[in-house]
Amino acid sequence: MMQIDPKSAEASLAEIDAVIARLKQSTYYRGASTIIVAWGVLVAVGYLLNQWIPRQAGFVWLAVNALGLLATIVIGSRQQRANRKFDWRIVIAILLAFGFGLICSSLGHFGARELNIFWPALFMFGYALAGLWLGLAFTALGVGVALLAFVGYLFVDTWFDIYLAVVNGGGLILAGLWMRRA
Amino acid sequence: MSKPDDVIHQPMRLRIMAALAAGAGKGQEFDFSRLKSITQASDGNLGAHIETLERAGYIGVERGYQGRRPRMVVRPTPQGLRAYKDHVAFLRSVIDSEAER
Repeated sequence: MMQIDPKSAEASLAEIDAVIARLKQSTYYRGASTIIVAWGVLVAVGYLLNQWIPRQAGFVWLAVNALGLLATIVIGSRQQRANRKFDWRIVIAILLAFGFGLICSSLGHFGARELNIFWPALFMFGYALAGLWLGLAFTALGVGVALLAFVGYLFVDTWFDIYLAVVNGGGLILAGLWMRRA
Repeated sequence: MSKPDDVIHQPMRLRIMAALAAGAGKGQEFDFSRLKSITQASDGNLGAHIETLERAGYIGVERGYQGRRPRMVVRPTPQGLRAYKDHVAFLRSVIDSEAER
């Protein structure tokens, strides 16, 4: 019979724990990937519409956010039907972020350009924080997109909305696609 | 005291079985690329160990296509899950018996 000493047994159990940790992270990434891609597409469309019909910005973003929330709920329900766990606190977190965002943006009296940078910065801060617990890909996404958006705020003038469509929408789409393969 | 399982104890096969057992019954699907990423194996290495586990009857492998690309889905068998559980119980008993000395 095969002999296994306590050190080797401990190493094997540690190996199992490491695999389970990687599996959990992969499950978070895969569960979030479709939602992140959906938000990426919606946000990109929102910025593109903002560029062409800036006067309708309020209506455009109301529609984008409502559709995003609806997409999150539909994707979450589908995941649950497929016997995969979906954490409904994500929906509450999005609503809380909207609530805090509305308060801050009202108090701050931001102009259109500042509002364009404020909302991505707020949501990317959420991604960056969540990543500390769920997987560093979320943190990289949050910090990367927020920094690029801020660079655009400082240096991009006329095509700022197009720039944000690429950086914010594109960043979310790329990150979501990467997470699907994790 | 349970016995060690020679097939499962090999480190890469232990990783494969740990992932499959942890995902069993939770709607988790393991295709080759996901298993490769979780176990951090190379293609050849993973393929060889999957074959060994399949021969032992510990996993079932479904080979098909997704579009034009070949796709392999790996699932643990009830026998494989039992063997894995027993092996983990054995590992714990080795540590516990050492602690009692």
